[in-house]
Amino acid sequence: MKTSTKTDESSALYENLRLELRRGCLIVAVLAQLKTERYGYTLRRALAEDGLEIDESTLYPLLRRLETQGLLVSEWREEEKRNKRFYKLSPEGKRILKQLLEEWRSINASLEQILREE
Amino acid sequence: MELIERYLQAVGFWLPKAQKQDILAELSEDIRSQVEDKESELARKLTDAEVENILKRRGSPITVANRYLPQRNLIGPVLYPIYRLVLKMAFLFYAIPWLVVWLCISSYLPSYHAKTVGDFIAGTLHGLWLAILYTFASVTFAFGLLEKYALKSGFLEKWNPAKLPPLRAANRIKHANSIGEIVAFAVALIWWINFMLSPVMLNRPDIRIVLAPGWRYYSWWIVVLIAVTMATSVLNLLRPYWTHFRAGVRLVTDVVGWGMFAWLCKANIVAEIAVRNVPPEKTLQVANAINFWMGRSFPFIVAIGIVIATIDIYRIFHVKTGTRPPLCGLASICGMSTNF
Repeated sequence: MKTSTKTDESSALYENLRLELRRGCLIVAVLAQLKTERYGYTLRRALAEDGLEIDESTLYPLLRRLETQGLLVSEWREEEKRNKRFYKLSPEGKRILKQLLEEWRSINASLEQILREE
Repeated sequence: MELIERYLQAVGFWLPKAQKQDILAELSEDIRSQVEDKESELARKLTDAEVENILKRRGSPITVANRYLPQRNLIGPVLYPIYRLVLKMAFLFYAIPWLVVWLCISSYLPSYHAKTVGDFIAGTLHGLWLAILYTFASVTFAFGLLEKYALKSGFLEKWNPAKLPPLRAANRIKHANSIGEIVAFAVALIWWINFMLSPVMLNRPDIRIVLAPGWRYYSWWIVVLIAVTMATSVLNLLRPYWTHFRAGVRLVTDVVGWGMFAWLCKANIVAEIAVRNVPPEKTLQVANAINFWMGRSFPFIVAIGIVIATIDIYRIFHVKTGTRPPLCGLASICGMSTNF
């Protein structure tokens, strides 16, 4: 009984840490994918094809937040007889993405170094 | 695809009004794209069960809507929208009726009369504050328990898309409402014509009630008013959608009706009551008391009339802004036909 509670706590902790790690990565991935204009569904598919599954109830609120922060711009447009909302990086988004990628590479290099030392 | 519309309607229920259409349009587009993709993969239309499965995987309407709402921490994020709704309902159905009852009691019962206006206001605010505090505390406590214990059972995941509520059509008038109105107005009309047209309301050997002479000018207008309102209800039954014209007629009849009722309260309408074996002084006292209490109820009649007129005005505005069912509007944003 006690062991099972401990396992539950441990997996909940792992899940929290995993989500935390993933959250930041998702933002960078979404910004990077939106160098090309896309609408929500194709963006989700493009991310999934590159190995980063994201469910719609996470993606759309994230897109809205990034748009409110001025990193994305969106536009409703008709395509294949349906109105779709297309997103792309704003000039500010491009600038921030560049900085984030530099930071990402730097962290990644440091982590590789740390792991090599181990 | 009615199931998708019902799902969107259920998600929309929890969304803030300002962003609702926009969020639902995008969500709708995403679901339909997913359905289309699946259909091209299988080279056939999806069955209802398969659509249900897609919706089920997306999560319950409240879970999906919750992702778009600002995260708050008083109650955990999952239950917060329900908590807010229950809190609003509790205030609406407890604190407001409490205030109305308190105002009635303190106006009519001498033992509750305050010495000064200041005392009355202080007493009302004190009571109202306690009512609000108890409501807030009990609802928050109940949701705290739910959050702590019930959420673990995963009850929000145990939902069935097939049991989503049916689509609501804007401006639709329920048949039951129209039938109820017709029956009530028919009864009122028959009663009015039989008993109220003459100033001598009751003329039996043992009792006689006479109304003020001005009554005869008033009573026929009531007949006209009831007849017009009943005609609107009949029309509403046959064509059960509010139109500007009918909503406007309902506003006019309600304003005129409640205006007349308010005037009646102030008109000292009971002129004479005579009861066998009861001294005239006593019956005069009864007549005066009826006229007095009718006069005292004037502000409440006016208040009820204002509430009803506000609802009528809201209805006119609603007809103006939403003549189509809400999700048809949504479908048109998405560039789809409504029978998609």
